[in-house]
Parts: sequence; structure tokens; C-alpha cells
Amino acid sequence: MKRLILVLTMVMLACTAVYADKKKKLNQDTDNFRYDIEYCQTASDGMVLVKVWSYSKRSDLAMKQCRKNAVHGVIFRGYAGAGTASHRPLVSDPTIESVKAAYFEAFFADEGPYARYVGSMMDGSAEVRKVGKEYKVGVVVSVNKEMLRKHLEDAGIVRSLNSGF
Amino acid sequence: MKKILLTALLAVVTVSAFAQAKRPTIMVMPSDAWCKTNGYVTEIDNMGTKVYASDYAAALGDIDLISVIAKLNDLMNDRGFPLQNLESVMKDINNTSAELALVEGKNGGSVAESLYDQVRNRAKADIIMQVTWDVVTVGPKKAVRYTLQGLDSYTNKQVAGASGTGAPSHEVDEAMLLAEAVVANMDAFVGRLQSHFDDMFANGREVSYLIRISDIWENDLESDYDGYALSEILDDWFYDNTEGHRYNIADQSETQMTLNQVRIPIYDERGRANDANRFIRDLVRYLRAEPFLIEDIKILNQGLGRCVLILGEK
Repeated sequence: MKRLILVLTMVMLACTAVYADKKKKLNQDTDNFRYDIEYCQTASDGMVLVKVWSYSKRSDLAMKQCRKNAVHGVIFRGYAGAGTASHRPLVSDPTIESVKAAYFEAFFADEGPYARYVGSMMDGSAEVRKVGKEYKVGVVVSVNKEMLRKHLEDAGIVRSLNSGF
Repeated sequence: MKKILLTALLAVVTVSAFAQAKRPTIMVMPSDAWCKTNGYVTEIDNMGTKVYASDYAAALGDIDLISVIAKLNDLMNDRGFPLQNLESVMKDINNTSAELALVEGKNGGSVAESLYDQVRNRAKADIIMQVTWDVVTVGPKKAVRYTLQGLDSYTNKQVAGASGTGAPSHEVDEAMLLAEAVVANMDAFVGRLQSHFDDMFANGREVSYLIRISDIWENDLESDYDGYALSEILDDWFYDNTEGHRYNIADQSETQMTLNQVRIPIYDERGRANDANRFIRDLVRYLRAEPFLIEDIKILNQGLGRCVLILGEK
């Protein structure tokens, strides 16, 4: 009986390790922030609609990462849309992501603080395309850019316009 | 020991108080192009030539302009920059104009100043945010073409700007499209304004001067003082007193000297906001003292960032 319990425990541990490793590999696709971002619309209250295309071998994971990628894009990459002016990223210093790596790791943790500034995916906006061995998933999400900017100003990541006065 | 510590503490507190720079004042105004397109102009006969001047009082009756000003005020307020209100400045000017009209009746003189200059000088705004927009129709869709310019009142140079045409939309409510255009272009504008502030903090405020001599003065800019021509002395003074020795002598003769791109400290030694007039007063005091003893010097203000100095005239 003891032997059986030991074998079962070992099998369970092995399964967990394999699952965790697989999940880690899949997460790597999205943790590297591989995505494209396009501008859709700005609402008069400061909410920005962007379309984010995320890449992963699993379409559900790519879709899940789209919200995180949208916030990342607004902060670090900026975005442009067809026939409209480009929008600068919130941070002007490209090195800030690596300089404040610990801060952003916590900020972009699953359901971390970033989630407060991005809405859920727009109904009917999801597009899934197979590109080679992976999926390219596009969804439209809203980002509360004004609140996000204020959060980053308070955290000392972004300089406010009145700094120095 | 206690006294020394107290003195040191007081010194630190004083320096900290002065180190806190004053916030530049900003005001929104409609552009001349927008006023003309929308009929908010008055026609003036300038010696046979018709010229148009923006009628800001009439423009302030435009509901779209009011909503744009309110939206920009909200957005700038969020960034810690409440704007000066054009409507309040206009009311102030109207009251003063009525007073001046009474004075004019007594003395027979006249005040020659455009309404734009009156508004700018009264508001003492460091930066004017000038807005222009129109609605473009593309088939059944509409789009707003919007431009926002930040003009430095000291130099009249554009220091920030953002423009763009919104995505064509079936939206019937033009006010909604306009509000979206204001928000969509704000980040780009603020980014450039931030760069201007950074430059101002690093290199000082930019102003310009014209130094002339009076017809009745017996000297000129080539007159000799202790072996140096007056123009050379002026050159040295600007070198010693400008921020980072930044100034440019654009034109020089025996009767006049034009200096532009003169970078002056943002604040004087007492912590007051500097402008072209306040900065040049030190030069006037310098020239009135030994060995120059030029008593009669007139300063003519031409806005916040430009002064004319007339040597030999009181």
C-alpha cells in the first residue's frame, strides 16, 4: 500500500512538472511582448481603443495576453493607425523598462496593476490567424490612457508636465 | 553652535523656496484663420486697405469654441496647468477700454494696440494655445481637421504643436468628433511643450532687444569709453549676463544694435519671473554709472520678450 502511494505521488509530481514546464514555454511567447498594436479610436473621456495582435502557439494564451500587450504598447511603443497621426508612447526614455525591471515585472504580473487600466475585449473583435506554427490573435481593447499616465507619474516612471515648477 | 545650525537651516529653506520655479501661464485663443472662416472678424479700413481683425468677444459666443476651451482646460488642469480664461480677460479689457475712452476724451490721445496684443499683454500668458479646426465631409462621413499650436509670448515662436484629421465617421454630432480630436492630439502637444520647458530650464528664456541712439544725443555706439567702443561694452555686458553666454548680435552699426536669441535667466535674483524689460534694467543701471554716465535712457516695451532701448532719450 505504501509503495502504491509513493508511486502515485511520484507520477503526480512528474505530471505537474511537465505541465509547469509546458506552461512556462508557452508563457515565454507572450512574456517577451511579441505583438503589434494599431490605433482605432480615442474617446472624448481619454479612453483609447487599440487593436492588438499577439503571437503564441496556443490561441487562447495569445488572446489572454492581448490585454497585457495593449497596456505595454501604450507605455513603451506608441501606436499609429491608417490615415491618422502617430501617438507617442507614455515613456520617452527607451531604457526605462530595463532600468525599472523589478517595477514592471510586478506591474505586468498576471492580473497585476496593469489590469486596472485595460478593459475587456470588444465583443466580436477577435480575429485568429494561423501563421506558420503559431497563432496570431487580434482583439480590440480599451486602455484608460489618462489614468495609466497618472499611475506612472505617481510611481516616478513618467515625468509630469508640471515637474520642475 | 545652535546659531550656526539655525542660520544654515534658514539658508536651505530660503534656497528651496526660490528653487521652486513659477509655473508658466497658458491661455487658449482661437486662431485668426478660425475667426475669419467663422465670421468672427471686424473689418478695419487701414488707409484704403481692408484688413481683418479677430473679434474674440463675438467668437466667445460660439458654443463649439467654448466646449474646446473647456476641454483643453480640463486636460491641462489634469496635468497641473490650469489655464487663464479668455472670457475673463476680454471682460477686463472691455472695462479698461471704457476707462481709456474717458481719458481719451480729456487728452485727445489714442491707444494704438491690436486686440490680440491687448489680450496677450493683459493676460501676461507665457504661452498662447491657438486652436483651429474645421469639419471635412468625405461622402456620408465627417471628420474633424484640428490644429493646436503653442506660441511663446516672448518670441512669438511656435514651441509646441499637434495636428491631425480624425478618422472619418458617420457620427452626426460634430461636437463629439471635435472633443475626440482635442483628446487625441493632446499627448503629442504636451510632449512637445515638455521639451520646450526642458530647454527653457536648461538654457533660459529667449528674448530680443533693439538698441538705438537718439537723434539729439551727442554720442553713438562707436563712442569711446576707457579705450572701448560702446558697442563692445554692450557686447561684453550681454556675454557676462546671459544664460550660458547665449545671444546673437544680428545687426550692428554706429546708430543701432539688434540682438536676438538672447537667453535670460527665468528668474531674477529675488525670485521674480524675468522678462525682457526686467532683465535690461540692470544694463540701464550699468550705463548710468561711472564711467559711462549715460543718464537719459528710454526703455520701450514691445511685449514680454522684446524691448527697444533708446540711448540719449528720456
